[in-house]
Amino acid sequence: METTIQTRTGSRTALLFGIPILLLAGVIALFLFTNGAGLNIEPAAPIENLQFERTLLRPGVIELHVRNTSPQEITLAQVIVNDAVWQFTASPSKTLPRMGQAIVTLRYPWTQASAYNIAIFSASSIAFRTEIPVAAPTATASSETLWSFSLIGLYVGVIPIFLGMLWLPALRRLGAQWLMFLMAVTAGLLVYLGIDATSEALEIAGALGGAFQGVGLIGIGIVATFLLLDAITRRQVGVGRGETSQRVTLAFMIAVGIGLHNLGEGLAIGAAYSTGAASLGTFLVIGFIIQNITEGLGIIAPILKDRPAWRALVWMGFIGGAPAIIGAWIGGLNFSQPLAVLFLAIGAGAVFEVAYEIAKLVHKDTAKRPMPLTVFAGVTAGMLLLYVTGWFIK
Amino acid sequence: MPQPDKTFRDLSRRDFIKLGLGGALAVAGTSALAACNPTTPHAASPTTAHYNDPHNAIDGAMLAMPGFDGEIDYEANGFNPTNLLTDFDYGKVSTLSNGQTLREYNVFAGVKAVEIMPGVMYEAWTYNGRVPGPTFRCTEGDRIRINFVNATPHPHSMHFHGIHPGNMDGVYEPIPPGGKFVYEFDAEPFGLHLYHCHVFPLAEHIARGLYGTFIVDPKQGRPQADREFVMMMTGTDLDFDGENDVYAVNFIPFHYDKYPIKIKVGELVRVYLVNILEFDPVNSFHLHANFFHYYPTGTSLTPVEFTDTIAQMQAQRGILEFRYKFPGKYMFHAHKTEFAELGWTGVFQVEG
Ligand SMILES: [Cu+2]
Repeated sequence: METTIQTRTGSRTALLFGIPILLLAGVIALFLFTNGAGLNIEPAAPIENLQFERTLLRPGVIELHVRNTSPQEITLAQVIVNDAVWQFTASPSKTLPRMGQAIVTLRYPWTQASAYNIAIFSASSIAFRTEIPVAAPTATASSETLWSFSLIGLYVGVIPIFLGMLWLPALRRLGAQWLMFLMAVTAGLLVYLGIDATSEALEIAGALGGAFQGVGLIGIGIVATFLLLDAITRRQVGVGRGETSQRVTLAFMIAVGIGLHNLGEGLAIGAAYSTGAASLGTFLVIGFIIQNITEGLGIIAPILKDRPAWRALVWMGFIGGAPAIIGAWIGGLNFSQPLAVLFLAIGAGAVFEVAYEIAKLVHKDTAKRPMPLTVFAGVTAGMLLLYVTGWFIK
Repeated sequence: MPQPDKTFRDLSRRDFIKLGLGGALAVAGTSALAACNPTTPHAASPTTAHYNDPHNAIDGAMLAMPGFDGEIDYEANGFNPTNLLTDFDYGKVSTLSNGQTLREYNVFAGVKAVEIMPGVMYEAWTYNGRVPGPTFRCTEGDRIRINFVNATPHPHSMHFHGIHPGNMDGVYEPIPPGGKFVYEFDAEPFGLHLYHCHVFPLAEHIARGLYGTFIVDPKQGRPQADREFVMMMTGTDLDFDGENDVYAVNFIPFHYDKYPIKIKVGELVRVYLVNILEFDPVNSFHLHANFFHYYPTGTSLTPVEFTDTIAQMQAQRGILEFRYKFPGKYMFHAHKTEFAELGWTGVFQVEG
């Protein structure tokens, strides 16, 4: 008897949920069959968009990875390279469904360091253009290139962070006021990194096709990461651990935030290297090393009062730095722009949340004693530090 | 350690990321970080080896000539450039009471989706459903009567090069959609002329395809030729950005590459060459392995030049006469090689 009532209630609830959906389907049908609101819904010209996602160069071959980000399917009809009609093949097909991808292959005798303008004409004679400013062979996946990308990640991510952490003994000698200042510096570093990652994500998002909703993706990445990390922290506080262990957790979280940021950095480096940017080499890598040493400083700032285990410190260094290696692999070997936007947004969300945690800690401490300008000076100094070291790589 | 290239300093990290993402990089130079240089081609890597494979090498034919795969549906287009070469329209001939020959033509302006390259549809504006429009041919002193109907949603006209009264000039009387107009004038001077729409914006009305050739033969005629061909040097701005994307003689790029024009050794070949190119200032014609006599505008029966290359600016035209001494395949093309690689090439197939 009870079960029947429950079932009946359940099906009635389902029915009540279903009615508006059925009505909605009716409204859509009405709109479609009555020619909408009477407006001409047929566009004057087909709306076509083609996204160039990746360009690969091999001896005698140019390969374009394209995606159809327009509302309808596109047929690729002809290709013009540097003012010459050129034959091409497209796989799987010259006709791309919405969001579909194709690899356009051109047998083209390109020469090292030359520039190429490529136009792909669709069947409705709309031109989509891309550019190869300086041609160089694209790195291909091999154990050798993987090792090279690992080395780059090691140079720009792992090593500088460990070097930054070597400041630990020196910083321990500082007084409470200085420790507070350093925490503020760390918060400043993180806020700056978050802003930087967001702006980079926005820039890539702008280049994405409309269907990817790049800016929305950034919002999801930042908000979800922030709230998830916040929930994790609260749960740990709720478990009722000591303040020392909470500070170690905070240090780990800073490492995670910085690690995600370095993943984005690795992606960028890998992608640039894979498209012939090896010439950037030394200068850029040195710039990243200088900037990333400050990230090591940020990781240890909350635990200066404590005596963390060596093992914990090693883990923090790896969590903060090693993602640069993974990023370089992904970026160098198979880059996806929507994925890059998401990674950068996750990184931004993570550093913002960690900055928020530090802010709570600093607030708790500053409540006990008066230090009017320490926080201001620290945060500003942290942001300026990255701004100034940024000159080396910007 | 090598010094970093100066250009590194100009490149922001954001640019670096952007360029990396875009799949390109704006910095040239040599690798400074030898240990971390993944861009050196790896001969051993399977992908590279694949493309170095002779079976996958760029084939010689493609290096010799650019061009495209596939076929154009000429049936659907309604006209074929091969037929346009020799399609002279003498009109409906009758004699007026004063003994003058009257040539009457019916012409309509239309809009037509034309397959201009295999798979690429272009909305052309046409005279009598074709680009170029009909080649009107008459004799000096004939009365020409053109019954023009505008069957498009835009105003159009017909402006003839030649000597005629001002009210027959096709400039101040744009014919509205659905409108009619009768152009009537006496054909003079003899020579090779052209006609085109003269409604503003002029560049678009011409570039879309509203043009054709107008030949006025001298009363005494020209020496008998074995072959006569009409060639209009054209360009098409497919995406309407004010620049031509492809070039051709008689509108369809590479057509006479794919379907060579057949002639015989020793035959007198006469080409009526008209430049109707928009957006680019000059076009040219170069004949391979031969020289030709050139009659600018065709208004004289004495050639001014014996050459293998001539240049024409827009609306300039001239008659070329030549014979081939040896059998073989001979290119003719714009000697602006950019135009050639974008479609303005053709082949004379000379048979013994
Ligand atoms: Cu017109």
